[in-house]
Amino acid sequence: MTLVYALLGVVLAPFAGILVAGFDRILTAKFQSRTGPPLLQPLYDIAKLWAKEPMIAHRFQPLCVYIYLAAAMVSVALFFAQSDLLLIFFVQAVGAIFLVIGAFLVPSPFSQAGANRELIQILTYEPLIIIVLAGIYLTTGSFNISAIYAMDKPLLINLPLLFIVFGYALTIKLRKSPFDISASHHAHQELVRGVLTEYSGRMLALIELAHLYETILILGLCSLFWTTSIWGMVVLLALTYLIEIVVDNISARMSFRWMLKSVWTTGLALSAINLIWLYSGGRF
Amino acid sequence: MFEILYTSLTLCPIVAALACLILPGKSTRSALVGMTGIILIASSVMLIWNGPVSSTPAFLSSAKFTTFIQIADFALLGLILYFGIKFNNRIISVLSLVQIAVLAAFELFILDGHGAPAGLFCDNLSLIMVLLISIAGSLIVFYALPYMDYHEHHLKLTKTRQPRFFALLLLFIGAMNALVLTNDLLLFYFFFEITTLCSFLLIGHDGNKVSRENSVTALWINSIGGTALLLGTVMIYLQLHTLDIQAVIGKLQGSDAMLIPLGLLCVAGFTKAAQMPFQKWLLGAMVAPTPTSALLHSATMVKAGVYLVIRFAPAFQGTALSTAVAVCGAFTFLSAAALAIGQRNGKKVLAYSTISNLGLILACAGINTHAAITAAILLVIFHAVSKALLFLCMGSIEQHIGSRDIEDMRGLFGEMPKTAMIITMGILTMILPPFGMLLGKWMAIESAAGNLFTLLMLALGSALTVVYWARWAGILMGSDYKGESRPEHLPDMARYPLLTLLGSAIVLSISAPFIYSKMILADFTGTAAYATTNGVMANASGSFAVIPLFMIAIGVFLFALAKSGPGKKGAKIAGPYMSGISGEENGTYVGPMNKITGSVQSNYYLSAFFGEKRLSGVVNATACALILIMIGVSI
Repeated sequence: MTLVYALLGVVLAPFAGILVAGFDRILTAKFQSRTGPPLLQPLYDIAKLWAKEPMIAHRFQPLCVYIYLAAAMVSVALFFAQSDLLLIFFVQAVGAIFLVIGAFLVPSPFSQAGANRELIQILTYEPLIIIVLAGIYLTTGSFNISAIYAMDKPLLINLPLLFIVFGYALTIKLRKSPFDISASHHAHQELVRGVLTEYSGRMLALIELAHLYETILILGLCSLFWTTSIWGMVVLLALTYLIEIVVDNISARMSFRWMLKSVWTTGLALSAINLIWLYSGGRF
Repeated sequence: MFEILYTSLTLCPIVAALACLILPGKSTRSALVGMTGIILIASSVMLIWNGPVSSTPAFLSSAKFTTFIQIADFALLGLILYFGIKFNNRIISVLSLVQIAVLAAFELFILDGHGAPAGLFCDNLSLIMVLLISIAGSLIVFYALPYMDYHEHHLKLTKTRQPRFFALLLLFIGAMNALVLTNDLLLFYFFFEITTLCSFLLIGHDGNKVSRENSVTALWINSIGGTALLLGTVMIYLQLHTLDIQAVIGKLQGSDAMLIPLGLLCVAGFTKAAQMPFQKWLLGAMVAPTPTSALLHSATMVKAGVYLVIRFAPAFQGTALSTAVAVCGAFTFLSAAALAIGQRNGKKVLAYSTISNLGLILACAGINTHAAITAAILLVIFHAVSKALLFLCMGSIEQHIGSRDIEDMRGLFGEMPKTAMIITMGILTMILPPFGMLLGKWMAIESAAGNLFTLLMLALGSALTVVYWARWAGILMGSDYKGESRPEHLPDMARYPLLTLLGSAIVLSISAPFIYSKMILADFTGTAAYATTNGVMANASGSFAVIPLFMIAIGVFLFALAKSGPGKKGAKIAGPYMSGISGEENGTYVGPMNKITGSVQSNYYLSAFFGEKRLSGVVNATACALILIMIGVSI
């Protein structure tokens, strides 16, 4: 049965991801007084990239891209199989690292700088996510997702501050301002497209696909904070994503130094407070 | 059977070491070293076959042997005192005098007939250690044969110093095997001191100013550990009237008595394992020829410190000392990883990574649950194999490109395709699932979730670790953009050890569930920490699908590799984007005045955050405070 869920997750996740990305672009356009693209534009983008003449910048680039995609797919499969959260996160990290290695392969100043910045982004969000997962463990007694669904109260009630911490990680992982430091959505800035600069055509299409999987994974993790009712989950996800879009639109890109300092100080402080509540048994 | 194997694992390398010094000629020496290596490997495998055992061979309990060890103990301390005086280092002199005085008082006035002889003890932990020491150690010694020729050729030595070098390597391996197999605390101390002396002599091998200074540093820091170990031993004997390690652990298990001697033993372990604030000696050790570093960092020396703490962990389970050990270890894990980010010297990155990973292992020993000790033992295994591999690769690279700077290894694939491939794989085995290091880290974090400080430090350290490794792995495989590379000649004695180590890192990772259920589990009583069904390691708090993930990983890797061969049909290869017209050569562009302009890339080393100047003071001060806290909670 878990295998069926896992397969269903892997098949359906890209479609869900396309819808999320499509809504994201329409809403962003509305905020900026534009009409915006059709809902399925992300799908059209991927299809168009796939049809381009195949071109790579290094012989090992496809290796990195396929591993990135596979890692994203496996982590989504593990998520829908309600497996171990920490393991899911580590499998996801394989992909993140191979994306960086692929960018390092090419002696282009833009992809090199992007790769270095992407590593700083990983450095910034990884401890926060591990701490959030540990907070979940302290509440449910297990790192398995199935244990969260066995709870009769939503996690958000026990982990309000850790949810904010998770929000930081979410913003970095979704490449939203102010944390779109390694690769911005628009390739006209000082970094060109940073870590993604040297990928094109089919390779870029696969990366976009992998990013859809990652978006679904990270929203899936977000949904774990309200598992007791489907409406609660939908509202939580919709609100969170709406806030993400608003933040993206009202903030500028910041430097990686600022990100590392501010996110670690705020994130670790909030985490410590929330974890101390949990250790002291102050569950309410 | 066991006694024969014990002899060939300990006495045989020591005798071979002496023979190395006496017998002339390079080919005799090579044959001798090769034979000893093969005997060591074969005996260690047969020891596994033989299984766990504890016995007291007659010769170990004979009065002659005891007297011999007593004399050798004093001779050893005398030798250390001599070096202390020779190099004018007061700390070494004072500490060795203290040890001589304490040992003399102990042997003359306190020790009454030594009680029942403690003999040998070989449980699965010892078996694993013997296997690592003998196999990784031998492979390193094999690799050293061509390496040292090149090394001496490069130094333009007129008279070879290889007899001394190989004698020390073999003596080191023999002493390590004896150390992990003994059940007598005083014998343990003796072999502990031999490894100190061997490492001192090996670090100073090249005899120049820097190596002499660094070897003296290693000696004085490790003298602290030796003194702590001896004091701990004496205190244990004063209260329990036995030097039998298993008896001591049995008596102390489940109580929080005698934490002071146990704390001293932990301090001894910390100095050997180069934990903060004692890290300086291991960083200095990189001046030695690379096989020395590989040996010190992987299976011997530092692992003796870790072994000591893991061995005695049951004796302080559930005490404040245990928590303190966990916090100290986790702090080293975090701070060494942070310092590694600021480094662009490849050997120093490797050194900080060793310190950091040993911190993780000790943190697990301090968390001290069944699951955490399992994590510690798995980490010992996988770290030894991967680190030996990385150091040996580093040695080949340094001899080839003449630099240790990571930035000089940009595009190494073009120069040394085989080595670049192997070291990149080696790095990936350190940080990615489903490899064993990550399995161990996963277990460690899941076990640490109940301890706030340890958890926070492990989470931060884990992210820092990814950065310094991924950054290095990334630039190695880059090359000319067509991905072409020159053919590379690797001597057989270098290639086979490298490939064996890489193969072991992968195969051992796949067999982790098996290693757990067959080897590690047997040392514990009570319910198993992990159930292993279908290659999945699982318990109530989580699950890690080792073998299924490996099958997926291998499939994906082969598929992706097939997609990336050179000259794939259809895929054109384009030069990098340079914001303008690219020049003919890779990474250049047509600049102002139509001049071809090059571009320079460099990684972030973030010295403003992670530089040694920035961090060392704070880190050392904090670490000293933590060690004091650790001793304080024992009182």
